Amino acid sequence: MKRNPTAFLKEEYEELVRNGFDWKLKELQGPSSPKCIVDGKEMIMLCSNNYLNLSNHPKLIKAAIDATKSHGAGSGSVRAIAGSMDLHFELEQAIARFKHTESSLYYQTGFAANAGLIPQLAPAKEDLIISDELNHGSIIDGVRLSKAQRAVYSHCDMGELEKLLNKVEKNNPRRILIITDGVFSMDGDIAPMDEIVKLGNEFGAMTYVDDCHGEGVIGKDGRGIGSHFGIEGKIDIEMGTFSKALGVVGGMIAGSQDLVNFALNKSRTWLLSGSAPPATTAACTASINVLENEPEHVNKLWDNIKYFKKELISMGFDCGNSETAITPVIVGESHVAKKLSDELIKNGVFALPIVFPMVARDKARIRTMMNAGLNKEDLDIALNKFEDIGKKLDII
Amino acid sequence: MKDKIKVGFLVNPIAGMGGRVGLKGTDNVVNKAIDLGAKPIAPKRAKEMLDEFTSIFSSYDKLIWCTASGIMGADLLTDSGIKNIKILYDIKSKKTSASDTENICKIFLEKKVDLIVFCGGDGTLRDIFSIIGNKIPVLGIPSGVKMHSGAFGINTVATAKIFKNFIKNNLTVGDIEIMDLDENLYRKGQWEIKLYGVAKGIVEPTYVQVGKSTFEEVSDNLIKDELAEHISEELDNNKEFLYLFGSGGTIDYIAKKMNLENTLLGIDAIFKNKNLKKDLNEKQMLELFKKYDKIKLILSPIGSQGFILGRGNLQLSPEVIRKIGIENIIVISTPSKLAHTPIIRVDTGDKKLDKEFAELEFIIILIGYRFSRVVKIQTNNF
Repeated sequence: MKRNPTAFLKEEYEELVRNGFDWKLKELQGPSSPKCIVDGKEMIMLCSNNYLNLSNHPKLIKAAIDATKSHGAGSGSVRAIAGSMDLHFELEQAIARFKHTESSLYYQTGFAANAGLIPQLAPAKEDLIISDELNHGSIIDGVRLSKAQRAVYSHCDMGELEKLLNKVEKNNPRRILIITDGVFSMDGDIAPMDEIVKLGNEFGAMTYVDDCHGEGVIGKDGRGIGSHFGIEGKIDIEMGTFSKALGVVGGMIAGSQDLVNFALNKSRTWLLSGSAPPATTAACTASINVLENEPEHVNKLWDNIKYFKKELISMGFDCGNSETAITPVIVGESHVAKKLSDELIKNGVFALPIVFPMVARDKARIRTMMNAGLNKEDLDIALNKFEDIGKKLDII
Repeated sequence: MKDKIKVGFLVNPIAGMGGRVGLKGTDNVVNKAIDLGAKPIAPKRAKEMLDEFTSIFSSYDKLIWCTASGIMGADLLTDSGIKNIKILYDIKSKKTSASDTENICKIFLEKKVDLIVFCGGDGTLRDIFSIIGNKIPVLGIPSGVKMHSGAFGINTVATAKIFKNFIKNNLTVGDIEIMDLDENLYRKGQWEIKLYGVAKGIVEPTYVQVGKSTFEEVSDNLIKDELAEHISEELDNNKEFLYLFGSGGTIDYIAKKMNLENTLLGIDAIFKNKNLKKDLNEKQMLELFKKYDKIKLILSPIGSQGFILGRGNLQLSPEVIRKIGIENIIVISTPSKLAHTPIIRVDTGDKKLDKEFAELEFIIILIGYRFSRVVKIQTNNF
């Protein structure tokens, strides 16, 4: 036989296991609630993206059930052919209203939005895509699918971005697309979107922000980075997700009607993949309604963020420069972060480590994601564990 | 991680002595240096590095130290409490010389050591290179008069960290340039740095995200393949241009990938994807420019400080650069090279030309296929 077609499956997996890179999935028994059951054990959840606990909000649950009863379990088709339900259009109107943009488009997932739209906005070798060096993997994949020239600038370095834009002029690119995460998922820092938009206008470049960790967290009533900087409607493409603070799943892009007309005709992920089921779609619309009418969730999230961070810092932990719901607890070497995480999990606090090369060698950390559904008692329990284990491991 | 790592350790006891007393180096003039009051500094630097290393690294049984006796290695190791020492060469007297270095390196080669850690400067490194070539990676504890080569840590503590990370498999092997004073020009009264060769050193690897939180190291060669693809396309799209390929390992790799002959340490002319003339000097280039008025020059940063002009490529005189035009210079680099030298430097010797470079403030550097970034550019005077 010439070759063994599937031997690599086992071989490569075993290599990952040997290096400690394999994923060991933990089973959630029940909902993703702030206090949940993981592998049979009760845990305080500090690593989910369900920032506002909207996954468990009665209005979203009711919307999902009602929509299933009225519209069925699935949409039956891709959006382009026979899978565009009234529910989808309703959601898109809600998104545009929420983001204060002319129009919007709903994708099956956030990844699908980036992978489908980015390669269409700047597809050719005459085009140029400029990225922040720490952008998310889904953006990197979207960029890879394009034939455009690529450039990176040092993380959030506007001086460098400006110099780059100046220098590329002599090559006369056909289109320029500047893409950045809005809130960066490792450190929880915010991109200077107002300056990026300014540079975009100055140099004739499209601006694209991936606001996945910004929705439901920053901006008025959690509207996101556009609202945060007072530049709603000024960012050419505002991309976001329903799978984090908004508690469901799905991607969105918000911008002009021209953008949406182009996107729905050109995004392969949108055109060639079955549209979101009624339950998901209706729950997404409900999540927007909740944010528009119940500001207490975002407020509670921020109360929790401030309290948690203040206490950690007073204990002596290094919490970096986070300005959002992502609070890194920076502990130094990779093995220390892993040990801290293991001990926390043993003690009922679910928080995972992030190590090199995801972050610098001596800046491995526990990445905590705050939750509006936790009360002060829960936070104190988690904080006590951090303090005890932190002292035991000589971190503080 | 390998089970056991063989480290070749060598100290040049006289390295650096010439500096304080104003000599250009210490090779061949050590007596003069001593007469002028010079004191040995290499042993002190080596001890600093070893003390730092032993304080941050504890898996002693992983390392086998191959070295020379006495002041060229064994004494230093013993002083820092290091065990597992194999003395493979006995120095005959306290007056050591380049031939001692070369003899030790022959043994290192024979014993197939995994890494050579040396204490010295460019001169010592040249001696090592003359025997080892690019067969074994080298790491230099900075202790010479001249340290233009890319083999050195910035100080003894940094060198210890690099050493540790290499053993832990966190770093990888990449090209480094061997630079030293051009002896011929020095005799004529000129201080110029020449490129002597390309060896292997320790570099920060480039990573690509392959899954969630999983990264894979991308080998330098893969990145050079990408660069080669890009340069190949560049030449295809600009057939009317004469291309000058600069020196260094990256450009050499690219040229070979494009099936072109290349002078590792010199400048070659390529036209319509074929070799036109090899290893050109200034006069030959200016002669060529009479026939070809559209020229592009491909350069890569070399040495410990990221020079693209002014170190090791004197043939690219100010007149040559002016005829080419600054806007026709393409700078390429692997990301790991940029990590080591984050600022690009230029020193053409012509103040006016240097100023033009300095006014750019930043230049675009190609770091992959259709992939660039801007990097600060500096000249000595501005």
